[in-house]
This record gives sequence, structure tokens and C-alpha cells, in this order.
Amino acid sequence: MIEIKNLTKYYGKNAAVRNITFSVLDNEILGFLGPNGAGKSTTMNIVTGYLPSTAGNVLIDGIDIAQEPSKAKRMIGYLPEIPPVYVDMKVKEYLLFCAGIKGIKRSERKAQVENAMDKLKVKDVENRLIRNLSKGYRQRVGFAQAILGDPKYLILDEPTVGLDPNQVIEVRNLIRSLKKDHTIILSSHILAEIQAVCERVVIISHGEVRAIDTIKNLEDSLGGALILLMKITGKKSDVTECIRNIDGVVNIIDASMEDEGVYTYKIEIKDDGVRKDIMTALVKNDFEIDEVSTEKPNLEEVFVKLTAQPPRKKGLKDLLDEYDDEAEASDEQNDGSKEDK
Amino acid sequence: MFSLYKKELRSYFFSPFAYVIAALFLLIFAIPFINGIANLSGTEYKFSFSNIFYNNFFYFIFLIPALTMRTFADERKSGTEVLLMTSPLNVFQIVAAKFLAVSTVFLMMIALTNFYPIITAMTGDVMISSLICGYTGFFLWGLVCISIGMLMSSFTESPIIAAILGEGAMIILLFIDNIKNSGLFQSLPKAAKIIGAFSTEERFENFSQGIMGLGDIIFFITATIMFLGFTIISIEKKRWSRG
Ligand SMILES: Nc1ncnc2c1ncn2[C@@H]1O[C@H](COP(=O)(O)OP(=O)(O)O)[C@@H](O)[C@H]1O
Ligand SMILES: [Mg+2]
Repeated sequence: MIEIKNLTKYYGKNAAVRNITFSVLDNEILGFLGPNGAGKSTTMNIVTGYLPSTAGNVLIDGIDIAQEPSKAKRMIGYLPEIPPVYVDMKVKEYLLFCAGIKGIKRSERKAQVENAMDKLKVKDVENRLIRNLSKGYRQRVGFAQAILGDPKYLILDEPTVGLDPNQVIEVRNLIRSLKKDHTIILSSHILAEIQAVCERVVIISHGEVRAIDTIKNLEDSLGGALILLMKITGKKSDVTECIRNIDGVVNIIDASMEDEGVYTYKIEIKDDGVRKDIMTALVKNDFEIDEVSTEKPNLEEVFVKLTAQPPRKKGLKDLLDEYDDEAEASDEQNDGSKEDK
Repeated sequence: MFSLYKKELRSYFFSPFAYVIAALFLLIFAIPFINGIANLSGTEYKFSFSNIFYNNFFYFIFLIPALTMRTFADERKSGTEVLLMTSPLNVFQIVAAKFLAVSTVFLMMIALTNFYPIITAMTGDVMISSLICGYTGFFLWGLVCISIGMLMSSFTESPIIAAILGEGAMIILLFIDNIKNSGLFQSLPKAAKIIGAFSTEERFENFSQGIMGLGDIIFFITATIMFLGFTIISIEKKRWSRG
């Protein structure tokens, strides 16, 4: 088990990661999901012992990576964001070197390297200089390095970035097949990626954990909720105000402009009954409803919602108010320009 | 650790770079040697290898940063530092392996220069004792320069900057006596004395004149260890302050 406890990391004065706590259970593939700059790589660099943390601990099977690094590091295979390959070495030579520094017994190195080359399908380029390999192959060589010595834990930082779709599928299958013997943390900024291979996911944004749950639970938690798409004519701030005051409206996710004074609102509602209330209220306030449709929310939206909030735990309401202020400001500008003409 | 040593060594032998440096090195060595022969007077067939050593290192120490510039800067630039730092090796072992590899290359380079005394020995006499002494001094001096070069390489991501910093350090090292003797420090005898303590040139001169003093040997070894220690600290500090 890997335990990450209250992990905090500052780069100078900027916190890249703030008070992160989660555990990785044996033989699971844990998804580590967050937009770019969320702090995924930073966290992984700390977990693997590359960077020290500003505060908090990382325990690998109970061994603190900062206290007994050499012992803890032996249990981890790490594929960083940029594959750590020496371009002036040949593939096999590089892997033998890696086996050496990882402290794999001399007698076992050859077999380990062959095994890793087989699994990653790089045997056909074993005598090529890494410099001359494509991005996909380099990534695989870096991956092969990570599984040398059969470490119990594999930490993979965005292993499919920059690969073509076929390679992505291959890598996914490989990760699934590795699950049998390894415990894996897989980071990505793409939800579909995580959904495809992980059972459990930690969602991180702006250096803070936003959710830790199984994919299934996250999907279920959406329950009967619905997304309502409504095209409405009327001043945006008034319309949002009107909608927001209705019982059963969870959130106004988005409002995109269709035309002057016409917006399509994306409204999350508790259940289908709320739709009628909204329509009644809008009509009462003399707003014109041009179109109505509903859709099931998906995980993508949950992800966007969870990660779009800035840090400092602002409530959703504050966010929406901010949003309205901006909108009003731009509305006024528009009005002004019209008068000029 | 041996794997890392081997890889480093290999990287020198597989780059044309080390060969260019070795060739330059031999060439630099040849010039005073030829001069020495040319200047022989008709009656006395005698010239001093010690002098050659002494003259040489002025040129030679500028070659050392070219050997050491890539040691850490390159790892950082190519992202392979992560590989070393997340392996069970600790920073001490990493620095030691790299230092030993550069030292080995350096040792081979000076071994090549034996070529000149050997030719001389074929036709005449060579003062073996002073030769050994000169070589020892040369080697120890080289180790100090290597450890300084590695420290410079640990400061940056760019081998070129590492080389420039290294050359700068070498210049300071060479001219430390001149600095000491400059007007400013003549008026500050205490400061001059402190700077004088770091002066390596006089100590090297001892070696080149065939005097092998224990104090001088200890000085060079201490200096080497000290700069390697700084290198370890510098790497650790980089780890703490950024990525
Ligand atoms: N070496 C560094 N020095 C300063 N800031 C950094 C460094 N590395 C990352 N950061 C900052 O830390 C934050 C998290 O980065 P990172 O962990 O790379 O995110 P992710 O991998 O999720 O995209 C970002 O805001 C980034 O700008
Ligand atoms: Mg990243």
C-alpha cells in the first residue's frame, strides 16, 4: 500500500500541491486525474523520491520514502512524463544499464531486460540508438525501464501523451495486463483515459484533491440528475437570477450566447419535474423560451465541474456571482457601443 | 554504482569528443617537448620533464571543463536525472561514480603522455623518480580540477554554461597567486594569507620539481573531497528548491 499523507509542495512561494491525502491499495489501478498544471507530476515526483516534499509523508509499504529512500525506491518503477532515456545509447544497452543501477542481480539482468522488451514490444529495435526512435518507441523504452525488476508499484505519469490512437490502445491493454502483478498509479488529464483502465480515481485540481471515489460511484452519484438545455431570450443576469431561485436547480453550468440577448443555458436539475417549474417561472417573467432539451450528465461534466473551481474553497454561489458580474459588465459594454452607432 | 561508472566511461569512449581532447592534450604536451629538444646545447643532452609538466598544466587545465561539463548538466537537460535519483543509488554514489569515470579518462590521457619519456628513454636516460613525482602532482592537480568542473556542471542545465563556469574557475585557480600578490592584497596581509592558503600553484610546483610532500598530497586530496562534497550539496539543494 502507498499512503500519501498531507502532502504539500511549494516551489518557492507557489504551492504546487496542497495537503493531499490518499492511499493506493494493493493490486489496483488508481487513476490520478487533473487538468494540466494541477500538480500530478509534482505529486508523482515526490512519491518516487525524486523531489522532497515541503510537508507530509509518503509511505511505501510503511517505509517512508524520505527516511529510507534506497529501500523504498527498490519497490517502485517510475515512468516520468518525459521518458528518461539516454539518446546516445542503444535500447538493450540502456535497459541493461537501468537494470544495473536498480540493483538487479547480475545473473538476472539479462532475463529481466528480455522480459521487459517482450512486454513492451521493443525487441525489434533492441540494437537501435534511442536517438533514432520515434516518440512512441521512446515512450515504450521508458516504460520498459519502469517494469525492470518487477517492482511492486508502478507509477506512470501520462504514459499515453503524444502516442497515436493505436499505440494508446496498446498501452492501455498493457497497463491492464500489468495489474495482475503490480499496483499502479496512472495519471492523466483525460477522463476517458482513466475511465478505460481504472476502478478508482483521485481527482486533483489546483494542487488540491477534489474527489476520491470509484468511477462507478461517481457515475451513480449523478443519479437522477439531468442537464437541461434552454435557449432563452432575455438579459442574461436576469434570466440566471430567475432560474437560480427555483427549487431543484442544482447549478447553472454554462450560458453560451446564440445571438444578441439570446443565450443557451445549461442547467443541472435534480429531476425532470423541475423543468416545468423553470418554464413556468420564465414565462411569468416574460422571458421567451425558444428551445428546450435534456441530456444525461456524464463524468466529463463532473470532472469539469470539480476541477474548474479555483482553490481557496469558494462556494459555487460566489463563483456564479462572479460570473454574472462579468457578464453584466460585457452586456453594458455592448449596450454602450450600440448607442454610439 | 559500477553500472553507472561503466556507462559514464563508455559515454566518453563513444563520443569523438574525448578523443579530440586527448589529441589536443598530447599535442600540447609535444610542443614543450620538441622545444626542449631543439634548445639542447651541443654538449649537454639534458632537459627536464618536470618543466614540461609545469608548463603544460597552464594549457591543460582548460581542457578539464570540457571533460566535466556534461556530467550533471546533461542529465538534467535530457530528463535522465530522474532515472538516477529514483534509483536506489544515493547522491553520494552518483557523484562518486561520475568522478571515478572522469578520473579514469584523465588517467588514461596522462598515461598516453608516457609516450614522450619512453621515446627519450630509448635513446637516453630519464630521471624516473622526478618523472613519477611530476606525474603524481599532475594527476592530483587534475583531480582537483575535475571536482571543480563537476561542481560547475551541477549548477546548471546547460553543458556550455558549465564549461564556461569551469573555465572561469580554472582561471581563478591559476591566477590566485597573482591576486594574492596584487597591490590590493599586499596592503591586507591577512587576507593575502588566507587566499594564499588556497593557492595550488606553489604546491604543484613542488611536485614538478621532484619534491613529493605529504602536506601537498593531503592538500590536493582534501580539496578534491571538499569540491565533491559541495557537488553533493549543490545537487541536494537543487532537489529541494525546484524540479
Ligand atoms: N520546477 C518547477 N518550478 C516551479 N514551478 C513548478 C515546477 N514544476 C511545476 N511547477 C508548477 O507547479 C504546478 C504543478 O505542476 P505539475 O505537477 O507539473 O502539474 P501536472 O503534472 O498536473 O500538469 C504548476 O503550476 C507548475 O507551473
Ligand atoms: Mg504533468
